[in-house]
Amino acid sequence: MLDTIGAGPAHNAVQLAWTGVVRFLHLTPRAFLPMRAAETITLVAGRGIEGDRYMIGNEEGFYSHKPEEGRQVTLFELETLVALKRDAGIELGPEEHRRNVTVEGVPLNHLVGRRFWLGETLLEATRLSIPCRHIEEITGKAIFDPLINRSGLNCKILRGGIVKVGDAVRNAA
Amino acid sequence: MKARPITTVKTVVAGIEEAGDGIKLFVLVDPDRWELPPFKPGAHIDLHLPNGLVRTYSLCNEPADSARYVIAVKREAEGRGGSRALHDDVRIGDVVGVSLPRGGLAPDARIARYVLVAGGIGVTPFLSMARHLERTGGAEFTLHLIVREEVPLSAHLGALIEAGRVVVHRTSRTGRPDLAALVGTGGAETLVACCGPEGMTDDFERVTAAWPTANVHIERFVAPPPVIDPDAKPFTLSLARTGTEIQVRAGQTMLAALQEGGIDIATSCCGGICGACKVGWIEGKPVHRDRILSPYERERYLMVCVAGSETERLVLDL
Repeated sequence: MLDTIGAGPAHNAVQLAWTGVVRFLHLTPRAFLPMRAAETITLVAGRGIEGDRYMIGNEEGFYSHKPEEGRQVTLFELETLVALKRDAGIELGPEEHRRNVTVEGVPLNHLVGRRFWLGETLLEATRLSIPCRHIEEITGKAIFDPLINRSGLNCKILRGGIVKVGDAVRNAA
Repeated sequence: MKARPITTVKTVVAGIEEAGDGIKLFVLVDPDRWELPPFKPGAHIDLHLPNGLVRTYSLCNEPADSARYVIAVKREAEGRGGSRALHDDVRIGDVVGVSLPRGGLAPDARIARYVLVAGGIGVTPFLSMARHLERTGGAEFTLHLIVREEVPLSAHLGALIEAGRVVVHRTSRTGRPDLAALVGTGGAETLVACCGPEGMTDDFERVTAAWPTANVHIERFVAPPPVIDPDAKPFTLSLARTGTEIQVRAGQTMLAALQEGGIDIATSCCGGICGACKVGWIEGKPVHRDRILSPYERERYLMVCVAGSETERLVLDL
């Protein structure tokens, strides 16, 4: 019965109620290396981010031995970083969560299976990210438990383009 | 061929420098000169050498020098083979996998004075610490370098020696210095650190036994055995389908033991929540530490990344 969320006026209102913004962009060419901040990144439809470790055909990431079409770009909520500090006293920077795009005002956990615009690019959310012990190894911070259920979103790139810090994030109806 | 997981930081040898006295400096960088994973002053890394050996070396450069790992390696003809492999076989341009950096000194604003005691080539972590302390200022430090005669890495210590930061003790002339006198009486604002051969670090440990542990730091050439939960026990995994037996050491995860045994197991989170490494069990009594299996599922399955065994033998459906 609750396999899908039905259409209807209330649902449409909820869908249109949010507009978010890109706050930080990060990438890294290989597993374990620090993420580097960027003002813009280039998304290639069906493949990934230019210069990033999970670009399909590049395969230099910690999880690259487990190919996944839906991991072309990953997003993370700025609100989670604020909550980690507020509720658990953990300072985690946007360069430390190892997702590519830090957004504000975007309900990532609600977007699985949906399409949305990230600047001029169109994404389809495939699944929630799962925290991993690997990130604790890299950051030296005990963040596995606090990140359960808010570890970000994995997406496929349907339409590529350039994403800039400050770009809007919008629902694609 | 199935892709293998990436388990090391990929570096290339960008420079090799003869530093005298049988010592070579190796400079490791990212293939694209990307920043390398950060480290604390005096940290060390494991090198995965081309001949399969894994050896640990201290980083001599300072953390702010973030695009390189510099190690100094003395060729030990009678050693265990790591330094010979590096000296004799490794060339500029070679790819070397390394671990994430470990150890080193965490910054501590309460420390106003550092006393660093090095024996011979044990000076390497203190090159990193001394450079870091000199650059950041604020704390006093003295490096006592105990050598038989020759000062290792003298070219790299030159500036520190000129700045009066290094006291060289030549045992061939003056005998062994009194470690207790070198470290003094200490206090909450003093941190003492030692790196050198085992005899020296043991003596140092005795001299500082009464000090608070937060004020004493010891780097050993050979890592001490890991601290294992006293309640952890070794057990045997019996793989029903292949007939293989795998020993799990006390404190080791089932997953690590299986991987060591060449068994290919899918994993992802390694923390008991994603379910990727779910395996059936047939006999024995597992200790479940995952957070996703229901009581019903636990009677048939376990997560090898976190599960243990109450019994000496556990039979898995593998």
